[in-house]
Amino acid sequence: MNRIFLDVHALQTVPPSNLNRDDTGAPKTAVYGGVPRARVSSQAWKRAIRTCFADEHLLDPAELGVRTKKIVELLADRIAGLDPAVERETALKLADEAVRAAGFKTEVPKRKADQAKKDDAPVPAPEAKYLVFLSSRQLDGMARLALEGAADITAFLRKKENKARAKELADTRHSVDIALFGRMVADVADINVDAAVQVAHALSVHRVDNESDYYTAVDDENTDEETGAGMIGTIDFNSATLYRYAALGVHLLADNLGQGLRDDEPRTEPVRRAVEAFVQAFVDSLPTGKINTFGHHTEPDAVVVKLRTTRPISYVAAFEDPVRSDGGGHLREAADRLAAYASDVERAYGDPDTTLTWVLRVGPATQKIADLGTEASTLRELAAAVGQAVTERLEKPA
Amino acid sequence: MSHTGVLVLRLAGPLQSWGASSRFTRRTTESAPTKSGIVGLLAAAAGIERGDDTRLAPLAALRFGVRIDQPGTRIRDFHTARHGVTGASMPLSERFYLADAVFVAAVEGDQRLIAGLHDALRSPVYAPFLGRRSCPPAEPVDLGRYEETTLEDALTSVPWQASAWYRRRHRSPQTLTVLRETTATESTDAADVLRDQPVSFDAAHRRHALRTVVTTAVPTPLPAGDGSPHGTHDPFAALDDLENESA
Repeated sequence: MNRIFLDVHALQTVPPSNLNRDDTGAPKTAVYGGVPRARVSSQAWKRAIRTCFADEHLLDPAELGVRTKKIVELLADRIAGLDPAVERETALKLADEAVRAAGFKTEVPKRKADQAKKDDAPVPAPEAKYLVFLSSRQLDGMARLALEGAADITAFLRKKENKARAKELADTRHSVDIALFGRMVADVADINVDAAVQVAHALSVHRVDNESDYYTAVDDENTDEETGAGMIGTIDFNSATLYRYAALGVHLLADNLGQGLRDDEPRTEPVRRAVEAFVQAFVDSLPTGKINTFGHHTEPDAVVVKLRTTRPISYVAAFEDPVRSDGGGHLREAADRLAAYASDVERAYGDPDTTLTWVLRVGPATQKIADLGTEASTLRELAAAVGQAVTERLEKPA
Repeated sequence: MSHTGVLVLRLAGPLQSWGASSRFTRRTTESAPTKSGIVGLLAAAAGIERGDDTRLAPLAALRFGVRIDQPGTRIRDFHTARHGVTGASMPLSERFYLADAVFVAAVEGDQRLIAGLHDALRSPVYAPFLGRRSCPPAEPVDLGRYEETTLEDALTSVPWQASAWYRRRHRSPQTLTVLRETTATESTDAADVLRDQPVSFDAAHRRHALRTVVTTAVPTPLPAGDGSPHGTHDPFAALDDLENESA
């Protein structure tokens, strides 16, 4: 198998903030190199990346999955779209049978059924018993299959080969977000999708002790003689220079995406778009925990992207010995360390002949990072260069 | 004996998590890597799909041992999730991790299989992770492949892998704890059992069997020229000697 891994490394400074809380409301932490560090969980940042895909229009909505229980109605709409002659009730039945044949359990929610009975309304559409996550392309395929067997859908889907086709349709041509982050369906274990990407917990490169902000709030309408605060409380926060890391198995992503959304484009096209969107969203996204309190809108100061044929390599060990601030912040020292460590570890374990490196950086403090690879001047340019290289690798393996 | 080999891994990173009996909302970790975790890592590197029990079987049959070079600390992660459509809160869960730990794990078996796995680690299909996907290793995990040796020998001779800061702060321990499978002739009287012997990684019916584990201690193998973990100048050595005398 042709292995293509993409690692993305970023240094990002956040001011006092609380991006990701534990159950006491304090920012999450971890111990590394024997000292406490600020931590932002991988789950929190993955959610920010997913949201970024849609909010920043990095991907066509058709490339993103739909996560819904109302899968039968959604599929019925597609069926009606393909063949307007099909009546609503028939479309719902076709859709329900197709969804069930793919392996998802459906039922009419009891509360809705009871209500309909009371109102003498038609029986409502069945819903999946859990959230189903399907791509546009998968819905189209299932709609076509359902129409093919429209004459007698029950008999049609009882046939082994047709049932297998329904399952196959739900298990190929995944949406980009499923292909990247995987899917877990509680009941249909055989159409789980293994995530192509690993996102590490972001860790501060330096020692961090959470701080506590004591606040009071004034009651504007309190005209009583008794003065004082309307309420008091504390908010825990910290500020940190974070090392962020993710590794993407491009070959796994290509596998998960399959043929892609359109038949008239090269097979590599959906992979390229997904990789570009991932690079952009990984760099640009930010968990929004308490963002209105702290306004911690920042971007990474340094980004290093590697495209490899061998294993991905995290550079977190560069910061195992915590960076100490000499009063000038942590960024310069962190960037110097990252540059030195990356060169060292690549010499020992890397494959310089087949590895491509890009860099995006801001300001003089990150100067040393520049020597690691080809400098991109904008995030868009970085993503495009990576996407282009991925396409070339897929077409002509190194 | 002549056809067996040993593959040695260094497992280090900010976070690791090796669950053996976790279900539902409380995801715990053992204090050392599990066999199912390491076999899973190797199988993933070799590109063995989750449901492929036939290709998994020879890997699961490898003899497994692990050495605790730097025990780390346990941290608890509180995890919330929201419904994708309605925004309603989903069940809360707790995940436990080992922070700051370093382990040496080894598998012993047929030399050709070991060689194949070694290659797979250097060019994996699925990238390795330390028990949970969000825990990538800090450096490449492979520490090399040994022929004509045993699991016991490898775990006794591979130099102590603790991090520099740990060596500075803690004097080198006399011994390191090793958790390994018994040999064919060894008594299992003093052994523990752990349900981490992988049978199937099939997502539909993941199965693990019980495995016997013996706990032993090996003298801490310091690398050549590293008699003192503090380097040449160690003002505290004299104090430690006094402590030892008085003890």
